[in-house]
Amino acid sequence: MIALDDVSKRYPNGTFALRDVDLRIDSGDFIFLVGASGAGKSTLIRLLIREELATTGRVVVDGEDVGRMPRSRVHRLRRKVGVVFQDFKLLPRKTVAENVAFALIVTGHEGRLVREETERALSLVGLTARRDHFPSQLSGGEQQRTAIARALVNRPRILIADEPTGNLDPVTSWEIIKLLTRINDLGTTLVMATHNAEIVNALRRRVVHLDHGMVVRDEREGLYAA
Amino acid sequence: MRRVAYVLSAAGQGFWRNPVMSLASTFTVTLMLLLFAFFLTTDRGLQAAVGVLESKVEIALFIDDNAKVSEVLALKARIEADPAVSRVDYVTKEQALKRLQDIADRRKDFVLANIDGNPLPASLEVKLSDARQAKRFGDELRAEVGGGVIADVIDNPQVVDQLLTITRVLSVGGVAILAMMLFVALFVIVNTIRIAVHARRDEIEIMQLVGASDAFVRWPFILEGMLVGTLGAVVALSIVFAAAGPVTGAMLDFLVTLPISLGPEFAFQLAASVLGVALLVGAGGATLSVRAHLAK
Repeated sequence: MIALDDVSKRYPNGTFALRDVDLRIDSGDFIFLVGASGAGKSTLIRLLIREELATTGRVVVDGEDVGRMPRSRVHRLRRKVGVVFQDFKLLPRKTVAENVAFALIVTGHEGRLVREETERALSLVGLTARRDHFPSQLSGGEQQRTAIARALVNRPRILIADEPTGNLDPVTSWEIIKLLTRINDLGTTLVMATHNAEIVNALRRRVVHLDHGMVVRDEREGLYAA
Repeated sequence: MRRVAYVLSAAGQGFWRNPVMSLASTFTVTLMLLLFAFFLTTDRGLQAAVGVLESKVEIALFIDDNAKVSEVLALKARIEADPAVSRVDYVTKEQALKRLQDIADRRKDFVLANIDGNPLPASLEVKLSDARQAKRFGDELRAEVGGGVIADVIDNPQVVDQLLTITRVLSVGGVAILAMMLFVALFVIVNTIRIAVHARRDEIEIMQLVGASDAFVRWPFILEGMLVGTLGAVVALSIVFAAAGPVTGAMLDFLVTLPISLGPEFAFQLAASVLGVALLVGAGGATLSVRAHLAK
């Protein structure tokens, strides 16, 4: 599903964000990306959605060489890869339902499909009752669930979560993790960058540990620290 | 439908979210279009004037009384061979006198005294097909004055010359000024749209994240640019058509000798050109602006 072959990313100032990374993620996998701030987790995620290009090496997502993809095809890649961020990135003047429907409308969907898919995504994250609230009226957990619903509404094959619990209290964090696990169980490949040791240790999923841009550990049923 | 509704409402929102900037750019576009309409109209009017005058350009050559008929006919043939000449008429001394008497008969205030003999010279009346050649042609013939055939050259190409100069100056100056205004209008629109893009940068980021195509991201801004252009065109054309009546009246009083009027066909062409330029400038400026942002 995702393959990085000998990928390096060097920024113009000469620092390496990633160095010789080889990584294979199969369809339906759930992996944690761990490591200190600046270890390269966010850069890796940006390469997957082609917000940045690798300096050397090859990044393949769902069979497509992301680096060689023309700009005009990038939006098709992004429809296959949903992304959730620490800061939610919701539109404050749109309701929960409108925020979710937005992802469908701007990708060219219309009419009944928009309504049905929006309701499906809202019910998946348990926000049907809150559909007409504005983001400012929601708790942090509810805002993140709205963001997850928006990421899922285009039925992506891969969901990437960059520190999804970074702004949430422990109880709410667990709610979000349970939700993500369920989404993974439904068949979506899940890549989650996190600093939350408690969650990583409790779930015992695959752990990819980055340090100074290099993969220093890749374990099935791993722990946060070696 | 929903997609179209989104694009339209986003464009409208963009316009009203920053009314000062939007109205400022609309105003700039209006000024640019007014200038454009002014030059277009003036140019068309002058062209019509030149056309009318060109058809009237005539040079008269007075023939020396002592010239032989064969010499006059040879001169006539030589003049007819000039490509700038459309027609040459030979008016004899008798015909000239007859013309004068005809005029006298028609006008009561004009009394022809008894004259001895015929003081009027014979002449060649030359009609030109190309008014721009009038000066050269007149100068060439004037050089032959006193040579035994041509007694004098009467021409009035100054008016045409002046008109041609004005037309040239206007078209060169007009294009230059218009180009500058176009640049200013484009610059203002680019900035207006840049502000609109900035105001919606979060929305654009999310659109790109969830996989909206670049075209979809661009359209609301391009429409907003076109909206600015269209508003500018509507205001400019309203001013032009409101002013057209009085200005035309004044012009006709001023140029009473020139039967010029620019009909409804021209009004339509003018409106279409102004609107076309407005849409082009609006869409072009917006495209430049959004492209710069999306390339980041």
